[in-house]
Amino acid sequence: MNKILSIAKKELMASFKSPTAYIVLILTISLFNIFFFMIIDEGREASLRDIFKVMEFMFVFIIPLLTMKIFSEEKLTGTMEFLMTTPTTNTAIVLGKYLGSLAFFTLMVGITVVYYFIIEYFGQPDQLTVLTGYAGIWLEGAFFLSVGMLISSWTRNQIVAAIGSYVILFLLYFSISFIRYFDGVAEVLIRYISTSTHCENFAVGIIASADIVYYVSGIVLCIVLTRLSIENRLWR
Amino acid sequence: MIITKNIAKYFGSFQALRDVSFEINKGEIVGFLGQNGAGKTTLMRILTSYLPATSGTVIIGGEDVAKNSLAVRRKIGYLPETPPLYSNMKVIDYLRFAAELKEVPFKRQRNQIDKVLEECNIKDVRDKTIGILSKGYRQRVGIAQAIIHEPDLLILDEPTSGLDPIQILQVRNLIKDLRNERTVLISTHILSEIEQIAQRVLIIRSGQIIVDESLQTLLKTSGNVQGVQSTLEEVFIKLHSESNEGA
Repeated sequence: MNKILSIAKKELMASFKSPTAYIVLILTISLFNIFFFMIIDEGREASLRDIFKVMEFMFVFIIPLLTMKIFSEEKLTGTMEFLMTTPTTNTAIVLGKYLGSLAFFTLMVGITVVYYFIIEYFGQPDQLTVLTGYAGIWLEGAFFLSVGMLISSWTRNQIVAAIGSYVILFLLYFSISFIRYFDGVAEVLIRYISTSTHCENFAVGIIASADIVYYVSGIVLCIVLTRLSIENRLWR
Repeated sequence: MIITKNIAKYFGSFQALRDVSFEINKGEIVGFLGQNGAGKTTLMRILTSYLPATSGTVIIGGEDVAKNSLAVRRKIGYLPETPPLYSNMKVIDYLRFAAELKEVPFKRQRNQIDKVLEECNIKDVRDKTIGILSKGYRQRVGIAQAIIHEPDLLILDEPTSGLDPIQILQVRNLIKDLRNERTVLISTHILSEIEQIAQRVLIIRSGQIIVDESLQTLLKTSGNVQGVQSTLEEVFIKLHSESNEGA
């Protein structure tokens, strides 16, 4: 457990020592702010529902930038050899790295809590919906992070890792747009696999166990696969 | 300390190691020689459990590497060919991270870090970022992380490559100082170095161990007709030229 925290701490510190993290953070928050202003200015509705939608959409583009280096950088610089020859289990390595990036992501989402206080000042937002909305957004981001981490563990090239993550996240997020071309089992499957169907429920205040199961099982699956992938010596 | 039996390693259809068997006793310093691509790094990676052997067994300090790799890793300090450093970390933070992962008890961490900073002569860069250090410093930071948990067995893959003569001397002295306490397996291309610090030599060629002898016997038996001892370099070149003629 201590080692998981050591690795997570190191990951988080490393994020703040590289310019990528700041650029992503500043860029993301600025874009969120612009969209927040536009949405509030236009709709004059005291809710964060639409901003959650925008955030979800932007995560698809931002999260691969956060996760691309998780394992590929370690593989490239040879520090993977260091990690894996210390008496640390592979599970601890994967969990530590995941927690580290999750902490950074949580910070990023945490900054947007300001929006709540702004709309609270001017109107009467439904607190519960805001809370469930945040839960949904956070779970979705956590799921995207685990996907990105998995793909990063496949390659030593950060660009390849980022593009791979984009492909998977696009499939997960945009597949719902093509649903009308499918029917029967395929339609049900796509509806279930697509992330936006699940996140929508949270944004309107519905917490369904199916949605939580979807995200949690997705995260667990990716973590387990990442662990298997770093164990697989063929890919080193 | 190390017992290996019939190790073979395949990468796809390429056989990197064949039938490698040897034993290294506690307290020995063993020089590990071979041309580039002979299989030195592969063998070291197998010993440290980074790579699994295709077949054969490795036992280190009584533990089987394949079955109980965590216990083995606690006993090993390993410096890979390129020192595994995080370039955006400070030396001191990196060593603390290494100490945490290598299970140095929290109370002793500060002491151990001070000790290796002293031993590796890197005290003056402790607060510098690793990325800006020169190669000699990086190499020594790499050695510092390898010895931070006082391992019984040290495996060093070309620890002096790319260093200037003064630094080579420093690293060599460091290894000499370490040998009183532990077993050392060191690979290098600088043969005079082995002559000065190792007691025993393993020479590997195309994945096979061709020489496993104490340094003295090796130099004596392959001495020339006049009874003059040859140098390790001469022995090494002779062994490899024979193979080329044979092939």
